[in-house]
Amino acid sequence: MMRRLPPMADEWIDRSRPLAFRFEAAAYQGFGGDTISSALAAAGVMTVGRSFKYHRRRGLLSAANHDSNAIFQIGRRPTVRGDVTPLEPGLEVTAVNTFGGLERDKAQLIDRLAPFLPVGFYYKAFHGKRLAARWERLFRRLTGLGRVDLAAPREPTPKRYAFCHVLVIGGGPSGLSAALAAAAAGARVLLVEESAQLGGSGLHGSALDPARAATIRTLVARVAADKRIDVLCSTYAAGYYDDHWVALAEPHRLSKVRARAVVLASGAIEQPTVFRNNDLPGILLASGAQRLLYRYAIAPGSRVCVVAANDQACEAALDLLAQGVEVCAVIDLRRGAAGEALARLRGAKVVILEGWAPYEAHAGAGGALTAITVAPLGASPGAVVTAQARRLQCDAVLLGTGWAPALQLAAQAGARIVFDESLQRHRATELPPGLFVAGRAAGVGDFVARVAHGSQAGVQAAAVAAGTVAAGVSGGAPGDVVPSSSHPFAIIDHPGGKNFVDFDEDLQVRDLENAAQEGFDSVELMKRYSTVGMGPSQGKHSNVNAVRVLARKRGLSVGELGLTTARPMYHPVPLKLLAGRSFNAERKTPLDSRHTALGAVWMPAANWRRPEYYPRPGVTREQCIREEVRAVRERIGLIDVGTLGKIEIYGPEAGAFLDRVYAGRYSDLKVGMTRYGLMLDESATIIDDGVIARLGEQRYYFTTTTSGSATVFRELLRWNALWGLQCALVNVTGHRAAVNIAGPKSRAALQTLTNIDLSDAAFPYLAVREGQVAGVAARLMRVGFVGEIGYEVHVPWAGAARLWDALIEAGRRDELRAFGVEAQRVLRLEKGHLIVSQDTDGLSNPVEASSMWAVKMQKPYFVGQRSLRILQARGPRQLLTGLEILDGRLPRESHLIIEAGEIAGRLTSVARSAALGRNVALAMLRPDLATVGRELSIRVDDGAMVRAKVVPTPFYDPAGERQKSGVAA
Amino acid sequence: MSAVVQCSLVTDRARTGCKGAGAAAWLAAHSIPVPPSPNTAVAWPEGAGLVARLGSSEFFIEGSASQIMALDTAMAGSPPGVYPVLRADTAFLIEGTGVHEVLAQVCNINFAAQELARSPVIMTLMIGVAVLVLPEAAGAARRYRIWCDPSFGEYLGHELGVIIGAAGAEPIRAAGVT
Repeated sequence: MMRRLPPMADEWIDRSRPLAFRFEAAAYQGFGGDTISSALAAAGVMTVGRSFKYHRRRGLLSAANHDSNAIFQIGRRPTVRGDVTPLEPGLEVTAVNTFGGLERDKAQLIDRLAPFLPVGFYYKAFHGKRLAARWERLFRRLTGLGRVDLAAPREPTPKRYAFCHVLVIGGGPSGLSAALAAAAAGARVLLVEESAQLGGSGLHGSALDPARAATIRTLVARVAADKRIDVLCSTYAAGYYDDHWVALAEPHRLSKVRARAVVLASGAIEQPTVFRNNDLPGILLASGAQRLLYRYAIAPGSRVCVVAANDQACEAALDLLAQGVEVCAVIDLRRGAAGEALARLRGAKVVILEGWAPYEAHAGAGGALTAITVAPLGASPGAVVTAQARRLQCDAVLLGTGWAPALQLAAQAGARIVFDESLQRHRATELPPGLFVAGRAAGVGDFVARVAHGSQAGVQAAAVAAGTVAAGVSGGAPGDVVPSSSHPFAIIDHPGGKNFVDFDEDLQVRDLENAAQEGFDSVELMKRYSTVGMGPSQGKHSNVNAVRVLARKRGLSVGELGLTTARPMYHPVPLKLLAGRSFNAERKTPLDSRHTALGAVWMPAANWRRPEYYPRPGVTREQCIREEVRAVRERIGLIDVGTLGKIEIYGPEAGAFLDRVYAGRYSDLKVGMTRYGLMLDESATIIDDGVIARLGEQRYYFTTTTSGSATVFRELLRWNALWGLQCALVNVTGHRAAVNIAGPKSRAALQTLTNIDLSDAAFPYLAVREGQVAGVAARLMRVGFVGEIGYEVHVPWAGAARLWDALIEAGRRDELRAFGVEAQRVLRLEKGHLIVSQDTDGLSNPVEASSMWAVKMQKPYFVGQRSLRILQARGPRQLLTGLEILDGRLPRESHLIIEAGEIAGRLTSVARSAALGRNVALAMLRPDLATVGRELSIRVDDGAMVRAKVVPTPFYDPAGERQKSGVAA
Repeated sequence: MSAVVQCSLVTDRARTGCKGAGAAAWLAAHSIPVPPSPNTAVAWPEGAGLVARLGSSEFFIEGSASQIMALDTAMAGSPPGVYPVLRADTAFLIEGTGVHEVLAQVCNINFAAQELARSPVIMTLMIGVAVLVLPEAAGAARRYRIWCDPSFGEYLGHELGVIIGAAGAEPIRAAGVT
């Protein structure tokens, strides 16, 4: 059983600060500086969770957040990573993925059903449709890590950018020395370390070499004192992007760091030995045991067996011996290994079984480890001589048979990862300029060499950052200074299975072999079929072993099979860090406060907020909108249209430019007049529309749709740069306000505020004038979007409120009503006016939108002209058509028109028209059906069919008399 | 270490702009200093306002209301090759010991690395909003003038306020180093 040892020199815990907490409702005590995992270990809690699939007991494995055994739920916080989450007083911690608690988990029965749950079981379950829904419900109920509380409050977290000359990832011996060397060379350094404190694995093996501790203390103290080095602990580099842009996940924020050069000193990840029941609580990685020992003064057990295939594992055994922990045996997969650590173990009379391997672990009552069966290795990989097997009593087994360099970030940066068969490890080659791999990540194992290697990488990185070395020269691909530390096949077969390769996904050796047998025999296919490496650990402890299994199965080398692609994130990142503060760049017009005063109900329109309608006490939304429509039709209405895009174009070739970017002609537009404009892309799809006004010979002013203003302006700038015409564009969308005052009484009201003659003779329909309105410099455009006489009044931002107030006052006698977007939609629908992107879609062209009247095909050129000719010749696939709804029921936009059982169209706009006394709609309809008088069927939400018939548009005032002259039609 | 950041709305200045092939010459003819290169600014007049060159032929001008009105009036005469640019920008002044930490949360520009001797004017995005940023010396520290489209002014000001209020700007140097 794990237990806390007497104080150690460099321990991270503060024994003067006891912290009480609860785990699975039982009370425990840890210390300040403990993690949740270390506090549980110190309390002798061996089982910390249940496995994902079979609900097997799981204990600590890496104590480094490399595995997913120690994942917890704390209140509303799911998937808390116990290995790196600091213990806090009063924490209520529960295990995840259990039914009825950790000890009495009802789902542990599934472990006995393992033979019936082969690899690819999920896919196979869903193969037939009949039971798919039932399987889905069952899987959803049984699987998952933690509970998401949808009612949990948002925790807005900062996201920030940061900058440095040299970013050092990893605070171990090589990372510390790299940071110091780079800083000494004049670089501004940012050093990040995933653990709560610096040092990495620097203290490991101190029993063999006490000088290591002193060196680490010195390095950490020098880093702390160096003003050129900033340090972020409890932080991991989650992703590596182009140009040394690295995402850093800190406890409470995400930093996006741009570095000139990066030293990757991320170390190596110890790989589990694979044998039957290698997942029992009490079996942990040798490096995990060393972490528990040096950081938290925890012994992994009372009688420990060490499985070794390298010097580091032997050093771990010495570390335990030095703290009085009994090491009952070292099971060394090697034969004839030498080394000082092994020699010292022999000197300490520790039993060394050379050429032996673990075969099976045994659990006692409560599921904890009690013994391990070991046997000599056989002639072929994975085989042991069971006839000579021995059973060793122990309560802990340390696994130290292989390492995988943590090169995921290097791969994300673009480095090529290759496998070195002679050293049995991967290495990064073809590093991108400015990236340096140092220390154990580069395969350097010796402590002194790691420090030196980090220093070398730091100097090189600083030189790149300073520009004194060409960025193309990339260092950090060192030669190895130690022999291989990984056994080529520390995977032992067992007829009973349960020899786990992937602890996240409960994948055994035979699962991977069966995947290959079924044809999923490349690393990428095997990953997707078996889900190896797809759990929370992202394959840190399983990918390499899985490839070894596949390589044996196929008779290939590990290098020939390759590795799966390493993608961000390196560790799972809390969604709150990715979400950040969730900025939503909302625009407001200068009349926002006026709408607020009127109690407007808001709606989003692109990135603007606009009044949907203005509520009245005791009146429904629909009634309010109807009243607003009626005000415009019978009296006078006022709407804020300041969200429209507003662009000015100047210059001798301004008209020629507009002729090219719009489908209509504008170079012949008379000064003082406006014309509708339809904008197409090069495939002749309608992308925007608006009104173009000619203010002078070389001066135009035009509007775009609310949603299109930014993209249209960017597109116009692009065309202008390409064509090089003599004209200049100015986007004044946000700097100008605009309102539309419309209705039979609008002219009279507006006339009281301006000396511009508004008579039909002086200011006809579609004219534009400039002058003063309510003392504000204004542009007036006489438009007819809503089908009544009306004027768009455009003024500078600063004059908007004054204009609005004056118009409200001027219209008071005639009961002027402010109207919102919904009323405007009804008004324009009655006129049959389309809204781009509502009544059109991403494929609609002017032929289909019945808008060829706005196109001048005889022009020499306009954007989309060539495509439009082709489309014209082909004929429309659909036509924008007016419909009258014959039944009383009102369909909704996007409801489908059904003809002979087939989809024949869809409604794009629909509304109840009080002015017409009927329901009307626009629809994109199959052309052969778009004949006036044709009856159609529309399928509504509940499947019922509603009748409609094709009618001509405009529905209201077809001759346009009301908007042209302001008289009743 | 807690940091202090203040952000204030600049309302006592007016703004305008001009662009076109003749804009630089026209400004010079009106005794208005012209920054020699794009993305730089010069003070005008005597530090109370400024002229920023946003491109080879586009300028942003800030000054007193009367000065700006006079310029607008002159431009209304349609001088050849000079096109007026209406500017109703919302302007902020942000300063304090934690200013860079606040800016780091809204923009990916390394403002601390900008050389003031160049009088740089930076056109960039700040939490989705196109802005002009002018770094200035404020004693030994720095402060920043930020201009944005007025329709984004309330949003940008609100978010800056939230960040300033929430953070107090913490330093990068973290605890935990032994």
